[in-house]
Amino acid sequence: MKNRLKVLRAERNWSQQDLAERLEVSRQSVNAIETGRYDPSLPLAFRIADVFETQIEEIFLRD
Amino acid sequence: MSAQETARSGRSPGFWAGLYLAVVAMIGALKITDAINGPTGFILMAASCGLLIPMVRAQNRGDCSSAATLAYNKRVIASSFGYVLGLGLAITVWRNYELSAPAVFAISLLPVLPTFGIIWAMARYLSDETDEYLRHRTIMASIHGLGLVLSVGILWGFLEMFELVPHVWAWWVLPAWAIGTGLSNLWQKVRGE
Repeated sequence: MKNRLKVLRAERNWSQQDLAERLEVSRQSVNAIETGRYDPSLPLAFRIADVFETQIEEIFLRD
Repeated sequence: MSAQETARSGRSPGFWAGLYLAVVAMIGALKITDAINGPTGFILMAASCGLLIPMVRAQNRGDCSSAATLAYNKRVIASSFGYVLGLGLAITVWRNYELSAPAVFAISLLPVLPTFGIIWAMARYLSDETDEYLRHRTIMASIHGLGLVLSVGILWGFLEMFELVPHVWAWWVLPAWAIGTGLSNLWQKVRGE
């Protein structure tokens, strides 16, 4: 699954660690999701959407 | 240099793990070649467990350590010490005393119960870990370890049946699983996962 995590993060000038702290997950988790190696669960996807104050479908895209 | 910088500049967990494995292999080689006797081998093996402490400390310094990981490391270290002590005690008693079958059963449990502690620590980690990606990685590594145990076990079993290889005790399933899990973790790290 593609995602716009890196773009959204860059717009806010957040590092992966910054985002990880906001999501209360490890930096590795953010890196794995961002690079498409791991698809988050629905609850985590909702948390990511909440942090970026947007909708899930604005972050995660179909392949 | 600040205390924090000093802490971060220490040896990596891999260094301590490698050193521990090298020391264990060296002790094993000395024992197999009869360069040292049983009690000396046991004492050296027990002492080598001390290398696990800096390994865990180094791992705890890393940025991949969750609270569940720290608790898991403590439990595994405690169980490993218990295992080495239990094994040494059981072998010593078994070799030096004429024991009844129930007594042999009882001393057999000395190394067994701590290994159950290691298995329990893994189960507890999976339930405690709140980071779903770290949990996912651990589960995948466990499955790979299980795959290694099943594959090697089946292969070895048939080779043993046809008398090509010597008998191997069943407790090797845990070290074999741990090796498979460790290799999987290493592979995931190399791939940057």
